[in-house]
Amino acid sequence: MASFGFATGNELEQMYQEVILEASKQAHGKQSFLSQSDAGAAPSENGTQSASQDGNTANTIGALASGLSQVHAQHEGCEIGQSHQFNPTCGDEVTVRVELREMHDGSSPVIEQVVWDGQGCSISQASLSIMVDLIVGKSVDEAMALFRDFHALMNSRGAGIDDAAAERLDDAIVFQGVSKYPMRIKCALLGWEGFKDSAAQAMTRL
Amino acid sequence: MEQQEHSWDAIRAQFPILQQTVHGKPLVYLDSAATAQKPQCVIDAESQFYSTINAGVHRGAHELAARSTVAFEQARERIAKFIGASWQEGEEEVVVTAGATAGLNLLATAFGYASLGRGGSAATRFALHEGDEIVVSEAEHHSVLLPMQELAARTGATLRWIPVTQDGRIDVTRAHEVITARTRIVAVTYVTNVTGSITDVAPIVQAAHQVGAVVILDACQAAPHLALDMHALDVDFAAFSAHKMYGPTGVGFLYGKRELLEALPAATFGGSMVELAWLDKPAQYMAPPARFEAGTQPIAQVVASGVAAEFLDHIGFAAIEQHEHALTERLLQLDSIPGVRILGPTENTQRIGTVAFEVEGVHPHDVGQFVDAQGVAIRVGHHCAQPIHRHFGVFASNRASVGVYNTLSDIDALVDAVSGVRAFFKA
Repeated sequence: MASFGFATGNELEQMYQEVILEASKQAHGKQSFLSQSDAGAAPSENGTQSASQDGNTANTIGALASGLSQVHAQHEGCEIGQSHQFNPTCGDEVTVRVELREMHDGSSPVIEQVVWDGQGCSISQASLSIMVDLIVGKSVDEAMALFRDFHALMNSRGAGIDDAAAERLDDAIVFQGVSKYPMRIKCALLGWEGFKDSAAQAMTRL
Repeated sequence: MEQQEHSWDAIRAQFPILQQTVHGKPLVYLDSAATAQKPQCVIDAESQFYSTINAGVHRGAHELAARSTVAFEQARERIAKFIGASWQEGEEEVVVTAGATAGLNLLATAFGYASLGRGGSAATRFALHEGDEIVVSEAEHHSVLLPMQELAARTGATLRWIPVTQDGRIDVTRAHEVITARTRIVAVTYVTNVTGSITDVAPIVQAAHQVGAVVILDACQAAPHLALDMHALDVDFAAFSAHKMYGPTGVGFLYGKRELLEALPAATFGGSMVELAWLDKPAQYMAPPARFEAGTQPIAQVVASGVAAEFLDHIGFAAIEQHEHALTERLLQLDSIPGVRILGPTENTQRIGTVAFEVEGVHPHDVGQFVDAQGVAIRVGHHCAQPIHRHFGVFASNRASVGVYNTLSDIDALVDAVSGVRAFFKA
């Protein structure tokens, strides 16, 4: 059990640590890169819906990697990957775009840049912001180790993780309080899932 | 119905679940539109059924089977009277379902079978073809929208919808534009589960019947709050769930005009719905309601649902409407909190005590968590009604909804809690 004590203060403050509230406002890595038409179905007028439409049209909410072929890495020697994540219960929605730099010595690619576009609750926004601070400049291998640490934290039901892992997670350890709330764990994991998926896509292009 | 002065404290005291604290605060339950809490009489009815009566219905010759059948059919009669439907043997208009969603899916499935020619010539009135239209509204719960959308996809029919007014009421003045000679089904909600607005059903029914369309009413949010009279409403079908009207989960009821139920093909098949079954020729199915009740029904829950209806009738809808009107009046004060916007009508007419709202700069999940820490339970999310949220330009909202057990101080606790949200989240 890490020494990050959650013994005092009321439950709400345990969950919404100051770091979370601040990070949700700062939202590191947040950029508006999706066009309006991508970012959700437009409100519809009364009208008709064709019967031939397949049942999965609702998935067009958000830009499911749409237009990625026209998007190029901003940094030379890098490849990008993009992933759209959606939480249907509350509508938290994020598109994470990762730029990976190939290392020609055979070592794990380095995360050159992570940007994201989307909206959601303070937990998902803060988790994305803290994740960006944590993984940019690290190798994919290191970031995936953090991904596993963070998953372990969120599956700990409030109990936390070992000191070494807690230290590795740095600010992200503040989500320990959130892990007590089954309904909110997905909020904290949303951005990390987006990172994992987009990094995997970028890897295939390197 | 009794019109006496009710002791609402005494009514509240019948709900054991409300006598507890959460997070160290007295529980304030304002999520009855999702599911209502259960009075002791309903809890006891289920338990007593299992302790003294439990047996299969409409089969077996033993004493318990007889008692069980009587209790089950009495509950059906009780529910039928509760909604102004026929109940006499051979005239039954109430079908037991697993809930409103199951009832609406039953209809979509049966209409789909009719479109394939099942149910013979009597069922052709339910058959849909390319060029036909199904009309819903922009305010529908997914349990209305999706079965109708699927039915359209299966039959080649087209789905159309009646828009809502700016404040989220189904715009009946637009019904005539959408309901046309091509319309075969009109499926709308009586009370919307997001804005709490009551639909002016009569003009919709009139427009639909003028073109020979069948009207399906979602009565889920109406059943616990308004006196229902299906014959007066003149709708053709209606679905509602027991758990929203203080009854058990897992059970609901489908109303259908008797002549329509008789013509409607079966949707699920199995035991208890067949008169004669053969290996080498088609089966002969039973008359309604049994035709639609294949398999063992949730008997204890049906019996307890009858008790829930009795519970509501005993209080009386005149008293309930008056009580909830006062709660709604107080609930609408949410609109005067800086940064809070009510999604839906802000005037206390033609509406129930279900109020959706957004808090500027704070996601509903965070709002819900914050008020929960004060012991206040509200719903957050899209409430299974995404299109109307799009109308309001949001994906999710917060929703407070009242029941017979709520008090003005419950509402004050909510208003207090919501007043602190923006400061906490620095919005």
